[in-house]
Parts: sequence; structure tokens; C-alpha cells
Amino acid sequence: MTQEYIDAPPAIKLGTSTAQVGTAPPVAKDVTYERILNAREGEPQNWISYYGNYDGQRYSLLDQINTENVKRLSPAWVFQFGSQGLHAGPSTYAFEATPLVVDGVMYVSGWDGWVWAVDAKTGKQLWQYKHAIPFDVSLCCGNVNRGVAVAEGKVFVATLNAHVVALDAETGEALWDTVHGDVRAGESATVAPLVVKDMVIVGSSGGEFGSRGHLDAYNINTGERVWRCYMIPKPGEPGSETWPADGEAWQRGGGNCWVTGTFDPELNMLFWGTGNPAPDFDGEVREGDNLFTDSVVAVDVDNGTIQWHYQFTPHDLWDYDSNMESILFEQDGRKLLAHFDKNGYFFVLDRTNGELVRVTPFVDRITWGEIDANGNVTPKIYPEKEGENVHFYPGPAGAKEWTHAAYSPRTDLFYVPVQDTGSTVARRRREFKEGIPYWGAAVTVDSEDMRGSVTAFSASTSEEVWRWENEIPMCASVLATAGDLVFAGEPSGEFNALDARTGELLWSFQCGSGHHSSPVTYSIDGRQYVAVPVGWGSWVEGFLPGMIGGPHGAGLFVFALPEE
Amino acid sequence: MTTAKREEQVLSEVVSELGLDKQNRATIGRLLTHGGGLAHAEEGSDGRMRATIRIPEDELIYEPSILVMPHGGEIDIELLNDDTNTHCALLPSNGDYVWQWLPNHSRGTVTLDLDGPGYYWYSSNVGNDEGKGLFGAIVVLGDVPAEARLDRPAQPRV
Repeated sequence: MTQEYIDAPPAIKLGTSTAQVGTAPPVAKDVTYERILNAREGEPQNWISYYGNYDGQRYSLLDQINTENVKRLSPAWVFQFGSQGLHAGPSTYAFEATPLVVDGVMYVSGWDGWVWAVDAKTGKQLWQYKHAIPFDVSLCCGNVNRGVAVAEGKVFVATLNAHVVALDAETGEALWDTVHGDVRAGESATVAPLVVKDMVIVGSSGGEFGSRGHLDAYNINTGERVWRCYMIPKPGEPGSETWPADGEAWQRGGGNCWVTGTFDPELNMLFWGTGNPAPDFDGEVREGDNLFTDSVVAVDVDNGTIQWHYQFTPHDLWDYDSNMESILFEQDGRKLLAHFDKNGYFFVLDRTNGELVRVTPFVDRITWGEIDANGNVTPKIYPEKEGENVHFYPGPAGAKEWTHAAYSPRTDLFYVPVQDTGSTVARRRREFKEGIPYWGAAVTVDSEDMRGSVTAFSASTSEEVWRWENEIPMCASVLATAGDLVFAGEPSGEFNALDARTGELLWSFQCGSGHHSSPVTYSIDGRQYVAVPVGWGSWVEGFLPGMIGGPHGAGLFVFALPEE
Repeated sequence: MTTAKREEQVLSEVVSELGLDKQNRATIGRLLTHGGGLAHAEEGSDGRMRATIRIPEDELIYEPSILVMPHGGEIDIELLNDDTNTHCALLPSNGDYVWQWLPNHSRGTVTLDLDGPGYYWYSSNVGNDEGKGLFGAIVVLGDVPAEARLDRPAQPRV
């Protein structure tokens, strides 16, 4: 006898079976370029772009929480999420984002294509978006995403399978979806987009797979590409003389753009860091300086052309990406740029032309080579002979990873999360094959004899002013506020507040999982909050293998002073 | 028969001989995607793709275990639960996961939007259906659009 099927209940979107509200108030509708341009002074209650402001200072004018009362800081709410089913990089997912806050609504991305809108006062989920990510997408460094951009009623996110998606900020529904990269070529995307004018700027990931790095601009209303700027020149283009003339090396040269850049509206320039050359450690197959890898490039935001560049590690043999932020600041009327590179040196450049102003080391142990006061680079220890181990400091994660420093105009100090860890590397040549990791080496990062700090440096002289030391490296972004506080998370879970003037530890809270994200601050109805995503993971084997057993987490903690 | 096909057949025979393709034989459950087979989605003249996936009685698998889409896009999948127990399917789709509850001997329909190329797992996310074998893979073939590819000569692949 044939049994008739009964109708199953209708299929649902998973988010409808949660306590989420389903919609967010229309606060993002009026986020314009002008508002983003004047964000710090114009609306200190918000954090509306990746660094809080185009200058990348990660500094807030909010001062309700200060050195006197920070000891009373307490959790206000916690947003928790977790993994469902079997997703890409199930052992490497981490919560790396910078949350954005617009007039009481928080927009934050997670691992594996998640984006959430959350009530920034209560922690209640408003909506969720999930981009379906292929299980087999190429990820060098974990299932992560560093954040979203918001403008004109839209939330922009780059997905791990290299799409750029614009969401309706009120509902989380996709408005447009543009393919940004080629997953079959090992490309992905983890960067937080940056909105400038009517464009959303997005960089590539995939340097460990021998891709050709690029920075792209898309129209925020249509998703159409406005320009693409490749970071590896083709033969005949400016910079191509730094690649072998008769080879294919440039085609797989790396130079990806996986961390958000900064922007100077007067110069109309983006300052974007580029990643390592490929293969990471085998320089013999790519003789030359390998422009524009390991550089900051000044890009005309209107047409995507490179105006100038400064290369921090020519002919890199140590995996010293230079993606990390370029902080814009002024001194004696001069437009400057500060950059703490993976190679252990603190660079100050004239950002109008890329001229070196000062360069000084910012970590204790640097053995890979030396950079003199004029910027001349002398390599000393590097993988050269096939199969022969060499040990150098800093390791491939760098003296500072992508996680961000901050600058306080009140103290005129930069605050830097420092990693002091070495690594053993042996060159191991391999053929290039599309979609297969292309390192050219065997690598083991030290899991002993390591340390870290938050170190403060004078913006005027680049000299160290104070140092808060930690037994293990510091692997999360820091935040500076006008309350003279520096917030910094530890790999072991503590979230700390330091006195920005002295480095004294004033407050600490154990969040239960390591920090590898970027805290922000905002206020609603006159109450200041500090928010930090917490979720240990990513490429721990590269930046802190001594903590590879650390607990994964997936929470966003928000702190405030007790209400009177 | 090619060497690869012969190796695949030998693997299937060894897996079957050991009982990894059956419930509660070699292991407590059943090794993922072994036994449910592979099927291709049908593509209509409108470009929309369709497929049927069933849960056979007492096997705790999706059949086919591997569903192949010729390219990214929208697909309608009819889910049939022929088992005498209740299961479900949590499936990937752009926008949000799609969740289909499947009581005994029921039929449900889901629509998924998947980019590809690449493959995606889905599963019955109750009890430990997943560990028993109720995991399936959706494979999306094809390439990204030409305008999204890198400007460089064709590169070698494995």
C-alpha cells in the first residue's frame, strides 16, 4: 500500500525562530559621507566607521568613563552566538570584528558570513543575515571577518567567498551582491569595507595562495565596480622592474589588501597597507624588491591610481605584511602618518609624498635585519638554503599583528599591542598551483620564550614613554578615550583598562575567551558603553601557538558604569 | 576503468565490507555521505534548478548524499522523509539558514540561494542525527564571473 506523504510545516528562515525583533530602526538612512567625514567631533556618541574616524586613531572623545571611576565598570549586556552545523574552518572561527554603532543600533559581523544588528542599549538582536559560505573556501588564517561599513541606509560586508553584499540596514535583506574575487584562485575576503563618498572600498585576501592583490571601489547604490587597483604591476607598468623580467612571479605575487585603510579628504588619498609577497619565504623565485608588497600605498580615491608608496620590507623573506593601519596625525602643521609594521619598526612618514620622517624599533627582539635611521634595510637572518632552519625575531605574525594601535591627541601618545615572539623557518621550494598554499617554507612559531606589552610611544619623538608588560603577546586592538583610558584585551580573556598617561592597570574583567578583535566605545542617552567582541581563534598557530588550546568563544561584551 | 575509478570502487568495497556504510555495524552510526549516492539537480528552461532528497527508512542518511548543482543560483528542493522517525534539515542559503522540520513520512519544499563554486554541508540538527549520518553535501560547480577573476594568464592547477 502506498502511503501518502503529509505536508511538513513550511520551511522557515532560522532567524525567525529566535527572539530577534526582525527589524531595526531607520538610523542608518541618514548616515552620509559628510557624517562619516566629521564623525569624531560631530557625533562622538557613535562609532560609524571602522576606526571610528577616517584618520585611524581609534580615539573617542567620550570621557564619562575615566581613570577615577573605571574601577566601577560592569557588564551592561552580552550578545552570544555560536556555530551551527559544519562550517568552513570549524576549528579556526574567531570573533575579530569592530562593531559599528549608529544612534543606538550596533552592526557587527561574525565568522562564516554572519551579520547582526543589535540594540546597543539592551543587547537584543534586531536582525541577522547569513551569507552561505562554501565549506571548502581557501582560508589561510581562519574563518573570520573584521567588520562592516554603514551608509545611506545600507550595511556593507565582504564575505569569505569574496562577495561584497549590501544589506538593507532596517531588515538585513540583501540589496545587491557583487562578486569581488575568484575563490578558485585562492581568493577570499575578510576586510571591513570603508565607505568614501559614494563608493565602498574593499580589499582582497589570499596572499598565502599566490593571488594578485587588489583594492576595489564599488558604487554603494548599485554594486558596480568603479575601479580596481592591482598591487602587483604587470610587465611594463611602474614597479614591474622590481620583479623578474622573464618570469611568472608577478602573476602570483601577493600584495593583498585585507585590512581597512585610512583616508585624508584634503589629499583625497586612501592609505592602504599591502600584504606579503608570494611565496612568503622563498625569495629566490621572485628576485627584486617586489613592489607593491609590504607597503603603504597612497591611492587616489576617485580613480584608484597609486600616487606614492613606501615599502617597509623590500624583498620580504619573513612574511611581514604591512596591512596594519596607517594612523594619520598632524605635527607642527605637517601631515604625517604612523605605522607599526610586522617587521618591528615604527615608521613616521610625510603622508603628502611618502617621505620618511623617522624610523625606530618598537619591540625588544629584532634579529631578521636592521633598518637604519634613513630607512636603509639590511637583511641578516632569513631562509636561504633549502631545508636549513633559521630562527628570527619577530616571527611571521610580526611584532604587531593586524590588530590596531591607537593615538590620543590628549597625551600625544601612540598605544601599541606588542608581540615579542620568534619563529623557525626552513625554505622548502614548491611549484605554484592555483588554490594550493604557496609559502615556500616549513614554519614553526615559538610557543615558549615569548612576551607582550601595550607600549606607549611619543608622537613627537617616537620614544617609548611607558610599557605595560604581559607574560604572553598582546594580540588584540587597543582603544584610547578622552577619559585617559586605554582598553586592551589579553589572549587569556582579561579585558583591561590602563591609565593612558602612565600605563597603570586600573580595571580588568575576565571574558572567558581570548581577545583578537577591536573594542569600541559609544553612548546612548548620556551613558557611555565600551564594547568588545570576544572569541579566540583564527591563525593562532601563527601568532600565539602557545595558546592554541585556548577556549573558543563567540560573545560580545558591553560594559558601562552602574546607573545612578 | 581508470585507476582513480578502480581505487574508488575498492574503497567503497572496503567501507561496505567493514560496515561503515550501515547503521550500528562497524561504528555506532554511519560514515558521512557513504551510501546515499550522488545526483545532479535538474535545470529548467527558466534556469531554475530542482532536486529531490529523501531520508530512507532506518538508514539515517540523505539520499542523494551529494547533490550537484551545475552553477550557482536558486534551487528548489523537495525533501521527503520516508523514515519512521522525525528528522529535519538545516540548509545553507544566502540571507539565512533555511530550516525544514520533517515529521515521519512528510514532504517539505525549500528554496536555496547558493553562490558557488564550492560545496556546502547541511544536516538534521536534532539529537545526534548529524553524527549518525544525516549530513549531506551540496556541490556547486562552475566559476566566478569573468569580471571577478584576476587579470593574469591562466595558472596551473593540480
